[in-house]
Amino acid sequence: MSGPERSGGAGGLSAPGFPEQQVRRRARLGAAAAFPDPEDYGQHLFGADPGRSAPDELDRARLVPPVFMPERLERLIDLGREPLHHDVDLTVEIGGFRSPLPVYLSAFGSTQVASSDLGLAVSEQAGRLGVPMVIGENVVPMNGYGRIDPAAGRTLLGRLHRYAAEAPDGLGGVVVQQSTEDADAEVWNLVYSDPTATRLLDTGRLAFELKVGQGAKPGLGGMTVLGAAAGRGVAGQYAVEELFGPDAGRVLRCSAPGTFTDEILRQQIRLMRNNFPRAQVWVKLHPGRDIAHAAEVAWAAGAASVTVDGAEGGSGWAPLSFLDHVGLPLAECLRRIGRPGGCLLASGRMWDGARIAKTLALGARAAGLGRAALIAADEDPAAGLSRLLACLDMELRLIVSALGKYTIEALGPEDVWGASPAMEGERTYDHHR
Amino acid sequence: MTQTVLPGPRAHLTSPVTRTVLRVQNTITAAAREYLAGDGFVEMLPPIIGPVTDPGARGAKQVDVDFYGHRYKLMTSAILYKQASLLAFDRIFYIAPNVRLEPLETSSTARHLAEFHQIDVEVAHASRDDILLVAQGLVTHIVRRVVERMPAELAFLGRDPSSFAPLLDGPFGRMTHHEATKALHELEHDQSPDAEIDWTGERLLSAEHERPFFITDYPKGSRGFYDRENPDLPGMLQNFDLIAPEGYGELCSGSEREFEYRRIVARIRETGENPAKYGWYLDLVRDGIKGSAGFGIGLERLTRYIAGLEATWQANAYPKLPGVVSP
Repeated sequence: MSGPERSGGAGGLSAPGFPEQQVRRRARLGAAAAFPDPEDYGQHLFGADPGRSAPDELDRARLVPPVFMPERLERLIDLGREPLHHDVDLTVEIGGFRSPLPVYLSAFGSTQVASSDLGLAVSEQAGRLGVPMVIGENVVPMNGYGRIDPAAGRTLLGRLHRYAAEAPDGLGGVVVQQSTEDADAEVWNLVYSDPTATRLLDTGRLAFELKVGQGAKPGLGGMTVLGAAAGRGVAGQYAVEELFGPDAGRVLRCSAPGTFTDEILRQQIRLMRNNFPRAQVWVKLHPGRDIAHAAEVAWAAGAASVTVDGAEGGSGWAPLSFLDHVGLPLAECLRRIGRPGGCLLASGRMWDGARIAKTLALGARAAGLGRAALIAADEDPAAGLSRLLACLDMELRLIVSALGKYTIEALGPEDVWGASPAMEGERTYDHHR
Repeated sequence: MTQTVLPGPRAHLTSPVTRTVLRVQNTITAAAREYLAGDGFVEMLPPIIGPVTDPGARGAKQVDVDFYGHRYKLMTSAILYKQASLLAFDRIFYIAPNVRLEPLETSSTARHLAEFHQIDVEVAHASRDDILLVAQGLVTHIVRRVVERMPAELAFLGRDPSSFAPLLDGPFGRMTHHEATKALHELEHDQSPDAEIDWTGERLLSAEHERPFFITDYPKGSRGFYDRENPDLPGMLQNFDLIAPEGYGELCSGSEREFEYRRIVARIRETGENPAKYGWYLDLVRDGIKGSAGFGIGLERLTRYIAGLEATWQANAYPKLPGVVSP
């Protein structure tokens, strides 16, 4: 990562087009960042910012509490006192795991930002809280197994070990991704037969994620920029192109996206269940126009969860035309899926409680944090992610209780007023879970 | 999970039990060679390493070998070479070593070894039902030879030869995967209809039988890409397992094979693999290979069954259990 415009995190990470400064503030202040600066209290008159950027339909939509709240009455009767936001239970089941918050950490892949020590810092903090974490594809082919080389702490097994050592009993879980190229390195076979995974396997907290596609570049495989020497090292396994000129010292590395039909997806899931009976099966889809059909196939074949990765970017390298023009918006994906036939997860620009709450109300069980988690860890490797999660915890409690509800499962499409007419509660299903 | 403690090599190799078991095993391999040679088979020596190996071993990691800078694999099974070998002869067999880094949970099944041997048989132009008869004839012959020639050894091991009377007396039983699943559900065992019969399920079915039996027609998604899908019943494979009675479990897996290029590429994708890594094999298939059927009998498992042993590792001179460091 180089360039004059980068911001001032510990690792020098920047995320143009992403609410990076707000995330950094959260990583410094924790739950207090859910509110304006207290120094300004009593001196500033606060109001909605009409100039607030709202890059997509989900951001434009609003959460709409009712006036009459029968579910609040139920909670009042349970408690024998007026309920507050502290009384919201944010615990959810995510793809076979239990999480204290309706969020999980998305895969960061093998990109330069994700293969630094941030990967380990993030593993440790996610583990301590018991928030599920996905470890990205290509960590093995690019960074190694970490089985025989003791110094290889940033490897797949290094991250797995760090998470497992911190995770409280009964919470969290690790999801290990594999894509077409990874099959050559047998990531799942490695993890399933490794002592590092025993504690997670014995407690049902290991999952394998089949990466069908990704939001940043729907229809394409993974892409990263490598130094010329590193590029030569993986040229047997990936397509490596001298895109930047023969003397640039860096090359573009492309993974094949992998070919899928409904039968291929169905059988891959069945084979995973057959070969790894003690691991959960997760499936990650790009925001394709047949997203509803693909998700149905995955659930029917036995996937414990299906992730829709919204067309919103990521930590990897993607063509500019894809970032701006390719893939269904996340709100449209959720609309097409309608009432999910299984556990649905969603990712894409997730960083604050409001966007996450809207996503959950529209059908998802949990939201994936990608860039937000990386930036938070970059701001403060030791505690940035924990503080970001504390802030999300606070915001979600406030939002859910404001809607007159006290569990995540109770959220529904009636809680969202859409920017486009098609989103305004036109779906009449009783409940999305 | 209790960890099995293996004896050291001196204690193991000088044990009268080990010596007797290895002599029984010697009779088993001699009988196999006798039977197969008499049936027109050519014994070939199997490759140990190659650019690619059988991906069909459930949950097991392959062992990488640095072959002059290229990643090669130790054979988890020689299936791809068995198909290729039919270019030379129509009936071939190997007695082949295999290495599979099995999941750690298998170290306590009494049935899994990380390094083991198979009697690997392949027949050109054979159907699944043809190859079942070869497997049945071979196992029956082997058991008959041991019973005839090694009564003292079986007596020393406490194995009652009359246990084999039903096996020697008639054809093996046969049920489909669907029927096996149904039987297991009746035994209140939660067997997935889409997966291999799990180890507990195999043991339960095995304990209910007094002679070996075949389970046929496994669902796609439970096996490697080379098991032929039934053209008339999509989703069902023309394959089988041979299960030993008395709770000893699976002895052998086999199938009619896929041999057409287009079907094999699609099946490789269905098992989540990148077809590019099977380059040499696909080049061969594209130019045409023979349709065939074959099987692999786990030699140590067969020895365990015939000798009536507690665990499969007892049938190997240098046993390697998953995750256990041993010579």
